[in-house]
Amino acid sequence: MIQRLPPFAADILALFDERGATRTEVAVLQPADPFLDMAGEDLRRRIFLTESETGQTLCLRPEFTIPVCLDHIASQAGTPRRYAYLGNVFRQRRDGEAEFLQAGIEDLGETDIAKADARSVADAHALISRTLPGVPLKITLGDQRVFEAVLAALGLPRGWQKRLARAFGSAPQLASALEDLANPSHSATTDQKAAELIAMGDHDGLVRYVTERMEEAGLSASAGRTPQEIAQRLTEKQQLRSVRLSKEALDALKTFLAIRAPLEQATDALEAFAKDTGVSLGSAMELFCARAAAIAAHELPQGLVVYDAAFGRPLDYYTGLVFEITSGDGRPLIGGGRYDRLLTMLGAKEPIPGVGFSVWLDRIANLRGDAA
Amino acid sequence: MTITIALPSKGRLKDESIASLERAGLKVNAPTDARSYRATVEGRSDVEIAFMSASEIARELGAGTIDLGVTGEDLVQETIADWENRVAIGARLGFGRADVIVAVPEAWLDVDTMADLDDVAAEFRQRHGRRLRIATKYWRLTQRFFSSQHGIQVYRIVESLGATEGAPAAGSADVIVDITSTGSTLRANKLKILEDGVILRSEACLVQSLKPRNAEDEATITSVFAALNGR
Repeated sequence: MIQRLPPFAADILALFDERGATRTEVAVLQPADPFLDMAGEDLRRRIFLTESETGQTLCLRPEFTIPVCLDHIASQAGTPRRYAYLGNVFRQRRDGEAEFLQAGIEDLGETDIAKADARSVADAHALISRTLPGVPLKITLGDQRVFEAVLAALGLPRGWQKRLARAFGSAPQLASALEDLANPSHSATTDQKAAELIAMGDHDGLVRYVTERMEEAGLSASAGRTPQEIAQRLTEKQQLRSVRLSKEALDALKTFLAIRAPLEQATDALEAFAKDTGVSLGSAMELFCARAAAIAAHELPQGLVVYDAAFGRPLDYYTGLVFEITSGDGRPLIGGGRYDRLLTMLGAKEPIPGVGFSVWLDRIANLRGDAA
Repeated sequence: MTITIALPSKGRLKDESIASLERAGLKVNAPTDARSYRATVEGRSDVEIAFMSASEIARELGAGTIDLGVTGEDLVQETIADWENRVAIGARLGFGRADVIVAVPEAWLDVDTMADLDDVAAEFRQRHGRRLRIATKYWRLTQRFFSSQHGIQVYRIVESLGATEGAPAAGSADVIVDITSTGSTLRANKLKILEDGVILRSEACLVQSLKPRNAEDEATITSVFAALNGR
């Protein structure tokens, strides 16, 4: 199917222009590795893969964020810079054409995080308001950093913090992680010698022992996991066994995750939570407040943006803000978020902060009832 | 009308498959030419036998070019996209047993469960500049088990078409997903199966391709399954 631009595409391009985001073109054929590396192997069955004559694995672009970032890194363009895009993407879907249109803005290198976050939410809202005038909308906002700050403030061991932070945004994964932490059932190791070395606190001996075991198996001590890494995690695991997630900490986490409030009242809700549990959320809270204020300055309708403390995306490059805009039927029209880790993961020499959003144009067309 | 039953073309799988059919009252006449890939069934002009490799049988069942076939459940689930809607397992035959498992180096003393592996995978990139690599020929089973069942997203699959258990020592992967029956090859390569790392307990199955066919053929298939399942 050849994509014809829908009639409202011109409105979107005009909006990009007004808002000072420069439209960029991205190659349709992309190296597949960055997508699989970032999103994981599960993406493999949802993208269209092919191979070049030289054996490089290529795919039809399944989205724009990663190619825009890769192009930005390759061009060594200065920052801050805002890239806008509108074009077709390709994914195997059960509920729609495999080729469909997406548009969005990626904001790279802006160091005023609160300002850039707020602008991304406001741009996304402006785009939907213009293309779907009069359609009732809901904006849900979450914050990975606030969740991580809660975990740290509750004094959870580092290993647990990481495990829970990874599950953020996925209710079943989070529930299963909490269950494990409340009822640690496994001994750290079934290896007698290792258990003795840990009991004696002989860390160097443990490293030597793991080294021997690796050598016996012909495993390189540097190509993958190292003896130090294994010994360290084993020791940490042993320490975690003696700790249980306290009822207070578990209750506090559940209370936190249940927080849902219009953004105008979210700061108060978080402050009340911090006061009740006696924790300090530090710089994560400051950023949250600054962002809420910056969003307020964009004068979106009252009550439109709702903070949901449990809303997140379990992908390891999201670092702070996540948001989505849904219409009445609950289907996301726009997904967005902050991905400060993505550009270094893709090979940027220096850390480059980034925030952006993508719009599902096919869903907008459906709601408009256009013959798109 | 006739139905086509595909059987593995060599070795013990072939012999045991023929024995299973015989229990179901279908006696396979050895082809007059031993190199032939076709055979008949004694007294039954409505059944044809074709000999193929086990993975080919799974593929042909998925494509609907044969009616029944004896193949491993691992191959059914791995080879046929959307297998639940294309084929049905009519009888488990009790031979060719093997497990598809997740194994890690024994020297990973801190890793015994999928939750441990999840921790390791999550930090892998930060520590080593690349994702955790899994060597396997079972792309689908691995993705389903890691991504859907255990919520582990960040890993890469390295295709391995043979001697998978040697991949960690060769440095081409960190972890493997492979098939094992006794575990002796894993032990020889100093690998251990994770406690909750059994993806599938597989055995040889008589599998039916779910394609439209006439009532007569349908009845033949039903009777073969009934005989094998002792009903």
